[in-house]
This record gives sequence, C-alpha cells and structure tokens, in this order.
Amino acid sequence: MEYTRFEKARIIGARALQISMGAPVLIHLPEDIVDPLDIAMYEFEKGVIPITVKRAK
Amino acid sequence: MNLLWKDKIENVDKIRLNAPVYYAVDFEIKKEIELPTYGYITLKGSEANYRVKISEIRPYENMKGIIKKTTKKLKTLLKIEEIQDISAIPISEFKREDGTYLKRITKFSYGILEEQGEIKIKKFEEMSEEEKKLMEDIEKKYGIKLPYSIIQKLLDAKEEFSLKKSEFNKVVERAVEVYKKREVDPYEAVGIVAAQSIGEPGTQMTLRTFHYAGVAEMNVTLGLPRLIEIVDARSMPSTPVMQIHLKEGIREDEDKVKEVAKKIESTNIIDVGNVITNIADMSVVIVPDKKKMENRGIKKEDIVEGLSKLKLQKLTVEIEEDRIKIKLSEPSYKKLYQLTENVKSLTLRGIKGISRAIVRKSQDNREWVIYTQGSNLKDVLDIDEVDGARTRTNNIIEIADVLGIEAARNAIMEEAINTLQQQGLNVDIRHIMLVADIMTYNGTVEAIGRHGIAGEKESVLARAAFEITAKHLLTAGVLGEEDKLRGVAENIIVGQPVTLGTGAVTLIYKPKKR
Repeated sequence: MEYTRFEKARIIGARALQISMGAPVLIHLPEDIVDPLDIAMYEFEKGVIPITVKRAK
Repeated sequence: MNLLWKDKIENVDKIRLNAPVYYAVDFEIKKEIELPTYGYITLKGSEANYRVKISEIRPYENMKGIIKKTTKKLKTLLKIEEIQDISAIPISEFKREDGTYLKRITKFSYGILEEQGEIKIKKFEEMSEEEKKLMEDIEKKYGIKLPYSIIQKLLDAKEEFSLKKSEFNKVVERAVEVYKKREVDPYEAVGIVAAQSIGEPGTQMTLRTFHYAGVAEMNVTLGLPRLIEIVDARSMPSTPVMQIHLKEGIREDEDKVKEVAKKIESTNIIDVGNVITNIADMSVVIVPDKKKMENRGIKKEDIVEGLSKLKLQKLTVEIEEDRIKIKLSEPSYKKLYQLTENVKSLTLRGIKGISRAIVRKSQDNREWVIYTQGSNLKDVLDIDEVDGARTRTNNIIEIADVLGIEAARNAIMEEAINTLQQQGLNVDIRHIMLVADIMTYNGTVEAIGRHGIAGEKESVLARAAFEITAKHLLTAGVLGEEDKLRGVAENIIVGQPVTLGTGAVTLIYKPKKR
C-alpha cells in the first residue's frame, strides 16, 4: 500500500512519540541517528513500523 | 404508421445494451402495421426521446433472452433491431389516424410523424479497440485509470512521432508518473486552497466599474464587482450583455447583420419621437423624429399599429401630418397620466430586455458580430439567422434556465476566468472548476455565502460559526437538532482534530508477519 503524505506524517509522528518515551527500537541503527524523529523516519523507510492506517471505504 | 409508448429509462438502457432483442410490452397491437417500422419512446409523455426500429410484431410468449417492460400483463413481443437517441420531437407533431394531433402519451398510442424533416440522431462514440486496450494495459501495469483525454493524446503522439513500442512505453510511464504527481491526496484541503488562490489575486483587482474604450462604448461590470456577482449567483447581472454570432452567409455582410441587429434591438416610442401630454384637450401627442425613425427603420404606420396593442380602454387615434394624436374617450386625469406612461414604454419591435444592439467586427476580423446591452437568450436563439452554438450571454442564471446546469457550470468557469484574466491575474482553472462545481452540483445554481452553500450545511455549529450565530443556535435548540461533528468548523469548536490532512488518518496496529 502506498501512503499519502498525511498518512506518512501521522505514522512517523506516532512512532517518534513512542520512541521518545522509551520504546525499544525495532531495527539496528547507524551510529549517527540519535533523534527520535530521525529514528522513526529510518524505521519507516525500512518498513518495520508495526503501524498502518485504516481507510474509509 | 408508427407506434408510440411511454417507458422508463432503465428499459431503454436494457434495450440499448442488448439490441437486437425481443422486447415484451404490456399493450396489444391490433392494427395491421407495415414492417419494418419505427417506434418512438417517450420518457415524460410530452416528447419522443428515442426511436427504435421494429422488424417483427407477434403475440407474447415467454422466451429466453427477452426484455420485459413490466413483470405482468405482457401481451406483445416486438423485435427491436436498434435504438437511437434522437433530439426530442414534441408529441404534438404526431398525427392520429383521423387527422387530429396527439397531445400526450400516457401509455401507448398509434401515430404518424407528420413532417419527416431531419431527425437528429445523437451519437455516442465508443472507445476504439486500441484506446480500450491501452487503458486496460495501464490499469493493469500501474494500477491507475488515466482519463480518456490523456489516452487519446498518448495515441496521437504515438502516431505523430511514429514511436517504437519501447519508446511508447517510456512515454506512457512518464505520463503516469506526472499524472500521479499532480493528483491531489485524499483529505487535502482543496476548498481552502481554492479560496485562497482566488481571494489573494482578488485583492489586486479594481473596485471600480468602468467603460469599454472604443467607438461603440458599452458599460460592462468588470473586476471585483463582477467576480462577486458571479459567486453570488444573482438572477440578473448589473450589466447583462450578449454577443450574438450569426450563421454563415449572413455574418460576412455588414448590411445583413445590421438588419438582424435592428430586429433584435427593442425600440420604444420614446426612442423615435417625443410624447407630449396635452391636458387642454385630454390627449397624448406623439411627435415622431424623422431622423431617429430612419435610423431605427421604423415607419409611421408601425407606430399606429403598435398603438393598437394598447389595452387601456377605447381610444381614438388621429393621424396628422407630422404627429399622432391619441384621445381618451372620457376625460380623466388619472387615465391620461397612465396612458402617457404606457405610450412611452410601448415596444414597437425587437426583443424584450435588449436595449441596444451594436454591430462590430469580431476580433479575428472575419465576421460581423452583434453586441447587445441587455440579455434575452431564449428569444435571441429563436431568430433564424442566429448561430446558437456561438452566441453567448453573461447572465448565468439565464443560461441555466435555457441550456441547463452543465452549460451554467461552464459559464461560471468562463466568466470567472475571463474576469480575472482581464485584470492580468492568472488563477489556475482547477480552483475555479471547484467553485463552479460546488455552485451547481445539486442541479440549480446556488450562491456561495449565507443564502447559498454555507447556509445549507448540515451541521448547526458550522452554520452558527459562519454568520447569524444566535439565530442558528436558537432554532437548533428549539428543534432539537443533532450535530454529527463531521465537518471542519464543528471539530475546531469542540477542540478535536479536524477531518483534514493528518487529522483524518486513523492508525491501527499492524501485527508482524510470521
């Protein structure tokens, strides 16, 4: 499924909040990525975030 | 002898899809009818909308693959070879056997089409095989359905540049890519973007109405006042104007065009002479001005004839050498005053509502066009010399009445974009298309604002937030209205995320695949 830019923003935002509050990171990170938002974006790119969207029919 | 019957659009569609086919109808055909014959189908009962070719008539029996008009009381089978959409023929043009004319069709009737004139058959072009295939291929490959116009353009390009298969595929790929990029995401606030995109240039527009510079000056509302007029959907623009184009053979000849213009321009008595009220002998005197009469092509007899149309009371008209005297039969100041007013506004000829008609060369210098002040589309289209397809008016409501809602939608778009462009402002047409769609989607032209679209919103809170807050809240309270909190304004009021952009996305947990 391809996400619209709103969906992408929402998923990354939700995941970044989890990470910032101490959730375990789901993938091995390169050393220079520290910021929760950067981590969330990295995870999104790799497709490991266990979140998706429910679309209206 | 033709058959006429009333039917539903669903049945017409069924016949269209399956023809040639047997069609079972609920009436008996007792007369001998020469075959093949034409049958006419009416939807409303007042005009024939479809023509079918009937090649066989026989009593009803249940067979496979027949179409039934109703579920029971079927009596006859008609073999229908083909069905054609025709431009509507009034039922009153059909004759009964005894020579009288039909009035309405309630169920079924025999009739003979009087004048066989030309029956215009509307054609629906189907997509060609090539177009169909390309559209399907793209849908299969990219999961996207391109609009027909793009498919056409792609195939045109393929032919024009004689592209090889691999090259053409690249072109298609690029087209799909660009198309996807330009698409608006779901829940994007297009309305707000459109409002801003029209509103900002609006601030740079002239607030003044001004005159056309030119030989024949005409006053036309332009700029912001005109734009406001368009979105307000006024029943009459402050300066209605028309551009009347004429048919071939007439439009190149200035004299002939002027002739038509004279026919269109409405002429009152006051335009060709003076009207004097003479209290001394209780009469109204018309003093015609020879020069003015010549200009407008009116003779003295025309005035006298026009006076006979006055339906006031018994009048005596005396024609003197250079004046026309109208006398009242009984003396009454009130009636004399009334008579003067009536005489002044008496229309001698022309079309109602059109006060001036000027003939000018069109911009491409190829034909003469009539420009009018005042608009009356319906009556102008009735004139034989007028080319209806190119004649236009700036009265949008009138267009909706005469030509229909789709024409009105196009008129809104055109008027708005022209008004903006005259001021040197370039607004993307898609913003204006959205405005035009919103104004016309329910079948009538509706204004944007309190009396139109905004006043119709379902939500109480949204309406209250817009204008006249107290009234809306009060009536909502009295009637016990409910608010489903679906729109933007109501969600802002209660402090929830709005249903736009990221606010409209619902997240759910996606379990890991094992």
